[in-house]
Parts: sequence; structure tokens; C-alpha cells
Amino acid sequence: MCGLEIPTDERVLIGIGTADDAGVYKVSEELALIQTVDFFTPIVDDPYAFGRIAAANALSDVYAMGGQPKTAMNIVAFPAQKLPMEVLRQTLAGGMETLKRAGVALIGGHSIEDDEFKYGLSVTGFIHPERILANRGLRLGDRLILTKPLGTGIINTAIKGGLASEQTVAEVTEQMAALNDTAARIMAGCNVSACTDITGFGLLGHLAEMIDTTGAAVRIDSAQVPLLAEALEFARIGFVPAGAYRNKTFRGHLVDLQPGVDPILLDVFFDPQTSGGLLFGCPAEAVERVLDQLRAAGIVRAAAIGEVIDAGREALIIA
Amino acid sequence: MATQKNLDARGLTCPSPVLLVKDALEAETVPQSLSVQVDNEAARENVTRFLQSRGFTVNSTADGDDWVITATGGAAGAPAPEAVPRPAPAAGTRKIMVVVAATAMGRGDDVLGEKLLISYLKTLEEMGPELWRLVFINGGVKLTVTGSPVLEELQAYERNGLLILACGTCLEHFKLTADKQVGQTTNMLDIVTAMQLADSVITLG
Repeated sequence: MCGLEIPTDERVLIGIGTADDAGVYKVSEELALIQTVDFFTPIVDDPYAFGRIAAANALSDVYAMGGQPKTAMNIVAFPAQKLPMEVLRQTLAGGMETLKRAGVALIGGHSIEDDEFKYGLSVTGFIHPERILANRGLRLGDRLILTKPLGTGIINTAIKGGLASEQTVAEVTEQMAALNDTAARIMAGCNVSACTDITGFGLLGHLAEMIDTTGAAVRIDSAQVPLLAEALEFARIGFVPAGAYRNKTFRGHLVDLQPGVDPILLDVFFDPQTSGGLLFGCPAEAVERVLDQLRAAGIVRAAAIGEVIDAGREALIIA
Repeated sequence: MATQKNLDARGLTCPSPVLLVKDALEAETVPQSLSVQVDNEAARENVTRFLQSRGFTVNSTADGDDWVITATGGAAGAPAPEAVPRPAPAAGTRKIMVVVAATAMGRGDDVLGEKLLISYLKTLEEMGPELWRLVFINGGVKLTVTGSPVLEELQAYERNGLLILACGTCLEHFKLTADKQVGQTTNMLDIVTAMQLADSVITLG
């Protein structure tokens, strides 16, 4: 949106400028609204699962800012001439199941006729204006915790190519459909410094945003980063989405790949994620407790993947 | 007879260029060399990787806004897909091959050894996804047949996607070929290749 004048007012606490997950608008001293919207074309064959994933993905931005989603509206573009209405019904049912689990009311929506099916939601949440968790704010020494495994973009590319096994499809579907609500609740108990959810920019793209203009570096222990089964193998044989290469081109100058680290891992670390996990910074002494709580709550792939260090420059050091 | 194929993947987005090449390689006449035109960087990188993973030597040259990828050395005589030299795998993605060459673990007392091996095989799933192949040779094949004390466990591993191999010559030697209840019958070439591809081979017995 370069060159365009963005309308705003003094109550906008977080707007477009900071590349945050969602916008925040102050209503009163105690209440701010978090607003976000996301929609996309089907990424799995099962329409019910697609609905669940789209809803979990749309709600995630609110959780990543520490807020509580309250209401949602459907966004639908549907080719009624090409697809049976049952596909749409199943998709909406999947979305509603996830909204119910999240305690979010569906209060409307809009649908249009389109050549290509698209579904998503706009979501509104509440937060206290002084408890907004932004993507900036990491402290030196903070440990980075990631709550879901990476590789949904690569796996989805392989699914389009008909190569992913049923088991892998099931795993990636469950990961994408999983809500970030519990992870956000546990995160809130650890003196968290900054948080984002991993989406289109991939792990390293989002980390680059988190350290942008802070002067800090992060050191990623690549062996600790949770990956979806087969993601590395599919990346190696050429099933990497174009977005991963774009992310790598955009932020690659920050990357310092240590000797002995498999360079293909970079493609997984830059892989655009659909409904990815939360990535947050918390004090080193809290890491074990937070990981125990996450795992006890069923978020079993959560891991401490690195730390914020002073390397004399902004860098993403992959060790 | 040398075969050459030219593919035009311009205008296609990922993964379509790779799939176009994959189809060409799976056609009746597998080409020994191939040229692929692509019009975006992601397609160039992905097609290059795919052809390399299939044993081709790959070069690409810019052609205006497009690239032409040329691949040679495929088809007969090409190394198996996985035999291409690759960087050291990251931790968590190692391939461990376990070879069971007897019905007992270690030497000293065979009754104890049999108990130990049964316990070992039941505990093997703790290796997680790094466990890549489980191969039974010599007396070890007796664990893959009717009456094996670990049959249920092995069958469960196989259902969960572990590739279990049993030496065909060994099964025949013990006249157990018809009694095999788990695993695929294999030969020495498969075993030698698998040992070469594995990052780590553990032999018991």
C-alpha cells in the first residue's frame, strides 16, 4: 500500500504500519477491539476440515495478540455452478464447530458467486488496551517457544501433487485445525515479551519482523524446531511453494547458516504456514514449566527453538 | 537408444512444473535427457531439485525472462533416487536400519538372549520416526513367522508405516517361506542398498 494515505485516528493502537497480526482500536480505558480477517482457497480435499482450518487460522491472530475472540463473520466466494452446495454447507459447518469450541459467536457474513471457492472469516476480539501483546518486544536472553510443527506449505504443495501419504495429510490437517487458544492462555502465564503466529512469512520471516530495528539477533537450534513428517523430504525433491522462495529472497540477507546445517531446512523455516503455531519469547527460567504445561494440554509438538542474543547486528543465526 | 524430451512449463505455478516433469519421467519411455522451460525462479529451483533427486545432472541457463533447465544422465544407469549425494541430514531425520540376524541378543545364555531380543523388539518403537528399516536375516527370520513371540508388535509397526524386510533365502533355508506373517520378502541387493542409504545400521545377533 506504498504511497497511499491510510485513514486513521488517535484511537488506533495498532494499525497497518507495524506488520502486526491484527489491528487494535481503543474503545475505552479498559477495552480495545482486535480486528482481523483472513480467507483462502481450499487447502485440503475435505470441506469440513477446510472449514475448521479456515476458522482456526482466522481466530489465531486474536490469540497471538493476547486477546479473546468474541464475534466472527463468514466470507464466502462460491462457484455454485461447479460445486455442489453440500461442499459449502460442510465447510461452514466445520467453521462453526471451531467457533463453538472457541466460544465465538457467528453474527453474519457475506457470500458472492466466484469461479474459485474461497472461505474465511473476519474476527473481532476484546483486549485490555494495556495488555496488548505485539510482535516487537523480545528481550535479550529470552527463549523462543514455537507451539506447532512447520511445513504446512510444503506438505500442501505435495498434496496438490498427489504425493503426500494419508497419514501425513491427516497430521497436517489436525495441526492446521488446532486452535491456538490453549497455547495463548499458557503463554500469558510466563511473563511473555512478544508473540506472533506463524503464517505467510514462515518462521524466519516472522522472526525477522520481531527483531526488525531492535538490533538483537536470534539463534535457532535447528535440531529443536518441530517439523511435520515428510516436510524436509518433499522440500528436497522440489515441492517448495513459491512463497517460501520469496520469503527467503526477502529476508535471506539476515540468515547466518552455520556449517553442518542442512540448507534445505531453510526452505522449511521460510515455508508459509497456514494456521501456524504461536511463536513467543519468555524468560529462560520459565521455559521448562511452560513446555510442561503446553505438553500436558496436548500441545505435544511445542518446543523451545532458540534464544535472543546480542550478535552486534540483527541476524537469524541457524545452528 | 538415447531419448530426449522437451517440456514447456511456462505459465505454470508450483507444483505443476514438477508434476509435468514427474509425468515425463514416469512415461513408458523414460527420457535419458530432458530440457524444461520455466518462467519463474521457484519453478526453476523446484524442477532442478526434483531432477537431481531422480539422479540427473542438471544445469540451467537464463533465456530472456525464462530459464531453460537441461538434465542429462537419467534413465538406465542412473543412481537410485535416494542414492544421490545429499547433505548430512539434520538431527531428527536420520535413517536407522536395524538388522536382526539371530533369535537371541548377545552371547552367554541363549534363554536370556531370546528374552532380551523380544524385549528389544517391543521397545524399538521408542526410536520414533528415525527407525527406517527393520530387516530380519539368517535365524532372525523365525521372528517373522507364525508363532513368533513378537508377531503382534511387528505387525503393529508395519501398520504404522515401518518397512520390515525378511530375507527370502533365509526363509527358504528354514522352510518357513509359507509361514511368514509380517514384512516383505527381500534379497541381498535390497539389503546392501539399504545399508548404504541408512545413516546408521544396528546389527543384533
